[in-house]
Amino acid sequence: MPLPSKAFQRWLHGVAPNASTADVCRISGIKRTTLAQQLVRGKVAESTLVSISRGYHISPVEALATFDLYADLRGDPVPPTPDELVSQIATMDLLRAVVERSEPGSVSVAGLSPTPHPTAVRNWVDAIDDGELRHRVSEATGIAPQNFSAHLTANRLPPELAIATSRAAGVGPAGGLVAGGLLTEAEAGWSPNGRQEALDRMTLGELVTLAGERLQALGKTLRRQEQDHERTERIWENLG
Amino acid sequence: MTAVLPWATLLVCLAITIARIPSLLRGENRVVFYIFALITLDILLSIEGPYLAIDALLGGVNVTNLILRFLLYGTFLLMGIKIAMGFASTSAERAIRGPWGLAVLGITVALTTFFFVITDTRGSTAGMTGLTWGPSMEAYAALGRFYPGYVSACLLPAIWRTIVGRYPALLRAASALLFVGLALLLVSQLFPLIPLVHLWLRSLINYSAVLATAIGLAGIWFSKAFARRKARRTA
Repeated sequence: MPLPSKAFQRWLHGVAPNASTADVCRISGIKRTTLAQQLVRGKVAESTLVSISRGYHISPVEALATFDLYADLRGDPVPPTPDELVSQIATMDLLRAVVERSEPGSVSVAGLSPTPHPTAVRNWVDAIDDGELRHRVSEATGIAPQNFSAHLTANRLPPELAIATSRAAGVGPAGGLVAGGLLTEAEAGWSPNGRQEALDRMTLGELVTLAGERLQALGKTLRRQEQDHERTERIWENLG
Repeated sequence: MTAVLPWATLLVCLAITIARIPSLLRGENRVVFYIFALITLDILLSIEGPYLAIDALLGGVNVTNLILRFLLYGTFLLMGIKIAMGFASTSAERAIRGPWGLAVLGITVALTTFFFVITDTRGSTAGMTGLTWGPSMEAYAALGRFYPGYVSACLLPAIWRTIVGRYPALLRAASALLFVGLALLLVSQLFPLIPLVHLWLRSLINYSAVLATAIGLAGIWFSKAFARRKARRTA
């Protein structure tokens, strides 16, 4: 459930009292039709709020926190756990780290790629899951477990679900918003080198094991995509 | 409405057949062209004007209707094999072109001919609706609905899996149309339950089935062309 448009307009008035809709859209890079449509429907997407906050140089977390749905974000940011930090490192960056540690100097390490990575949502949930997390989330929000899984597979995490998931896991409220791509790690209050430091603290054994798990999951996904592709091609080959 | 529908169906099928000519000349999937050409011919022969004209040449005893039946069987045999192969259903392919499937077809052809011969079919009318309908006539008509229904029943599960599976949206939509068309042919098995005064309902179902099937098949072709074009643009 995105932000109610009345509350959004109150917030917008506080941020840019004299700006026209056109100004707001120009500064934040949102399409006018998109914003108009969201206002008419009475629901404004969180990403719209974040874009506008960035345009006006306000902290998106503080902006979100003014809405009751995002009250969890109020107060000082809760630092992410080391597992959460590592979960937000792209698989290819992990692999580079494995090679670099095993054969120093053989790969050019240019720093970690920015969040979110292609399997960020599933990896984040796995990182904070004690085995019962999905169950608790579906109980708290009413989302069916298979729908939750579908979000993970699609690497999507609606902001409200992200908040509910972190609450159910007892971790900081912004982690899921980073994994879902709504916020950058800096906006979430993560330290700029947090992910790299968490990675450096892992032993080679831990790192290789994690990279192996990631590779296995990636292989499964790729195989499935290849099969889907083959089946589609077969239909087209015969009937196209 | 029911007067326009046959001609509209014919027009659509003819348009699709013509659109396939370039692929035919390039040698791409010739069978698909033959399927559309056959469907077009089937529709042409089921419309009163063309039917009467052709049947007059053939002696005016509705032999054209028998020919139409055989053409329909051929259309469904070809279409069934191609769809079963495309949708990767070995069981459907076996049930259509395997020994069992060919036996079903052979028996259907034999019985169709038999019932045609023993029926008094003098007096040319499209769909033979102007004749007196005895049991042999009913059996003849039922056989004509049976084989398309049989082929459809073989294909529906595989098509359904494509509709609900992970495929491009356009391909799934086209498959859904194809599904509707073939499902209507199953519905048509219940025609004897429709009172004769509602004959329009039968032709509505028949032509809707052909339209949905033809547009669905063309849609699969379109979804391929669309995907290829998109791939070229992004490449």
